[in-house]
Amino acid sequence: MTLKRILTVSDLHVSFDTDDGIVNAVRGVNCHLDAGECLGIVGESGSGKSQTFLAAMGLLSRNGTASGKIDFGGRNILDMTKAELNAVRGSRISMIFQDPLTALTPHMRIGDQMAEVLGAHKKLHGAEALEVCRRWLDRVQIPEARRRLRQYPHELSGGMRQRVMIAMAMLCEPDLLVADEPTTALDVTIQAEILDIMDTLRQEHGTAIALITHDMGVVARMCDRIQVMRDGEYVEDGTVDEIFYRPKHEYTRMLLDAVPRIEIGSANKDRGTPDVIYDKSSDFLRIDDIRVDFKINRGLLSPPLNLRAIDGVSFNLMQGETLGIVGESGSGKSTLARAVLQLIPPSSGSVTWLGSPLNDIDKNALKSKRRDLQIVFQDPLASLNPSNTVGASIMEPLKVFEKHLTHAQMQQRVYEIMERVGLNPALNNRYPHELSGGQNQRVGIARATITKPKLIICDEAVSSLDVSIRAQIIKLLMDLQRDFQLSFIFISHDLSVVWEISHRILVLYLGTIVELTDTARLFGNPQHPYTKQLISAVPLPDPDIEKKRQRIKLKGELSSALDPRAKMRFLPSRLGLVESGYVPKLEERFPGHFVAEHDAIEDLLV
Amino acid sequence: MIRYSLKRLLTAIPVLWIAITVCFFVLRLAPGGPFDGERPLPQTVKDNLAAHYNLDKPLVSQYLIYVGNVAKGDLGPSFITEDFTVSEQIAIGLPYTLKLGGLAFVFSIIVGVSAGIYGALNRNALSDYALASLILAGLVVPNFLVAPVFQLIFGLKLEWFPVGGWGDGSVRFLILPISVLSLPHIARISRLMRGSMIEALNTNFIRTARSKGLSDRAIVWRHALRPALTPIVSYLGPAASYLLTGSLVVESIFGIPGIGRYFISAALNRDYGMVLGTVIFYMVLIMILNLLVDIFYSWLDPRVRTQ
Repeated sequence: MTLKRILTVSDLHVSFDTDDGIVNAVRGVNCHLDAGECLGIVGESGSGKSQTFLAAMGLLSRNGTASGKIDFGGRNILDMTKAELNAVRGSRISMIFQDPLTALTPHMRIGDQMAEVLGAHKKLHGAEALEVCRRWLDRVQIPEARRRLRQYPHELSGGMRQRVMIAMAMLCEPDLLVADEPTTALDVTIQAEILDIMDTLRQEHGTAIALITHDMGVVARMCDRIQVMRDGEYVEDGTVDEIFYRPKHEYTRMLLDAVPRIEIGSANKDRGTPDVIYDKSSDFLRIDDIRVDFKINRGLLSPPLNLRAIDGVSFNLMQGETLGIVGESGSGKSTLARAVLQLIPPSSGSVTWLGSPLNDIDKNALKSKRRDLQIVFQDPLASLNPSNTVGASIMEPLKVFEKHLTHAQMQQRVYEIMERVGLNPALNNRYPHELSGGQNQRVGIARATITKPKLIICDEAVSSLDVSIRAQIIKLLMDLQRDFQLSFIFISHDLSVVWEISHRILVLYLGTIVELTDTARLFGNPQHPYTKQLISAVPLPDPDIEKKRQRIKLKGELSSALDPRAKMRFLPSRLGLVESGYVPKLEERFPGHFVAEHDAIEDLLV
Repeated sequence: MIRYSLKRLLTAIPVLWIAITVCFFVLRLAPGGPFDGERPLPQTVKDNLAAHYNLDKPLVSQYLIYVGNVAKGDLGPSFITEDFTVSEQIAIGLPYTLKLGGLAFVFSIIVGVSAGIYGALNRNALSDYALASLILAGLVVPNFLVAPVFQLIFGLKLEWFPVGGWGDGSVRFLILPISVLSLPHIARISRLMRGSMIEALNTNFIRTARSKGLSDRAIVWRHALRPALTPIVSYLGPAASYLLTGSLVVESIFGIPGIGRYFISAALNRDYGMVLGTVIFYMVLIMILNLLVDIFYSWLDPRVRTQ
């Protein structure tokens, strides 16, 4: 059976006229899409994967020009006038974007934004148009669709906003849906739902999908064919099986190797126990029942609201160990990290560091301990001072903690550590904006390790990096751990990264621990329904497994920490105890395997 | 919204009180008084006047009397212009100033915003540059220079409009003073608007709107205009208070009997009552305008409402 050809791109070039001269973002690309198929375009940042389809939508920025041919329904899109283009886009080709918060107009109601598409293309207005919008909101599984039509984008959650985007893109039942990193900004469980919706729409309406992503797991799950893109060119294309199981190009192989492959349901995990012998007589780091509260001011006359971001968390850390902390946005991961380092003072509970307390101590005493406690942040560029050279940023901790050194000695140490983290010492006098993301993160790591600390907290330290760079940084962190006997608290929303680097993993949900055990047991034998749901939602870079896998869907959504009932989501049988401030208790179900109380998973499934 | 407005106005009261207090005492620190003219008055006359206006009492009790009167809504007598209270004097000049300033305000917004949008949509075209230089001229040439030049060209040479005066208050008399008064505001508003419109057109949601196949007109009016207006609104508060309290320069060049001139002459003559009265009037006006600006903000951006 031959399918209807929807889109044919031949010899497409896209270039941008920038201050640094002409930049060729796309250099002679060919691809095609048939009705009802899903084409994956994978590549790292700057590969030009988005620009191909932005050109097809006539959405290049003002300084961009495209040449070649984009054939859609017998016409070359690049030759169309603006009016002709406007008749096509939104109606026969539509697009959804990465960040659903900024991609929707903030001052317009959801219903108005959606209805104007129908007004522009189908001359449908008013109540009639809103009714069509409501039906589509129902179809993308938005609860209370009628009410949502009157809401503004900021009143919806991230996953809900992306569903609105999809519903809006589907209003005219287009032939082609272009999805540019549609789930990158979302949590895994939400990602799984969004991907499901897109897949269903493709099957029911025969809409072809062009899925632009950097995530090999998402591609494995969704796509029929894949184009791998690098530096503006397709290096390889083929069916999903060809790309994943018989990759020809070296770059494709590198991309696949760089992705951590979680082995779900198997207890084999080579990280094992920490290399350093744990001296049980003295605690390395011990967190006891800490709580962090934030006051939310609601104006002059109303009393401030109390937000409990961390609610009674306890754990310990051994020397040389990596503890992974996973949780979705709003679970309190970063707050927990900052509370451990006393960057945010906990409201109650204690943090014990090498046998002595870290909280409620004198400022100077705390400062002297900070030398051993360092943190690496998510956005490497934003967390470095832009007016300091890279060398000066790395040297700064020495000026605070090792004042006795001469400047020449400090500079020597800077060169040594730069070399150790894989930075060319010649970069010493460069500024952060002149470096790549991966290089900047190495600067952040160099700065954090130059005082030879004992504990480093990595707060989403690799989340903004491309997969290949991410793999290098993870390897670097593991090498440093072995050489310096470092301990890590590794925070990430990405389960595959945490799986790769951690000895033990702590799963956080709305400021409470739901499960804590070693990595192999967490993935091999997860106990808590929430952990099971999280693991089942991670897309695996293996199409055979991925397409057969059953997903666990639980009732409810990750809701606000302000809602006390949200904490009882997995223990609805005790919902009555919410008033008395009851929080599910953590119990040691197996030795070293802690699980929070929950009802049987059968009662929680959708 | 009403509750919010009331709350805002209530918090304005202590601010107003502090301003009155500071003004009251600072004025008294300045040498001279309302009755120290070039021709000295006889001492007995002076004493009588002082007693009449309570100036013989200790400073603190003068202050208390004044604050008490203000609380009752009485701004007191003018010390120089006999037979008129401060309130009456403001009431005489205000209609002229309000009409002139209000029209200049509306005119500035309409012309400034339109010019800004035009510049943003045709950015870096020849017409954009031409408009930008014209606007720059409006910004740097002071209005005491623009006013006579306009009078010369449009009044005397072309004889389109009267050179000055209020006449019957019709549009013919108002066009020249309004143009002169609004020129710098048009310049600032259009520059702000051009920048914020370009920024708004580069946002992700405009890209979404374009991907929906909307016309340029719908994109600008429905999607880009409101976010682009936000920086304009923060400029409108100060601009409105400046225009509505009258411009001494423009009012005197065009011979318009507004309140602008009272401000200066009252300060020079140590007319305590008049100065304090105008200060209070000015402050209340600014507070009301700022409140309106904030209310307008919440219309522009629904996110402000939920906070």
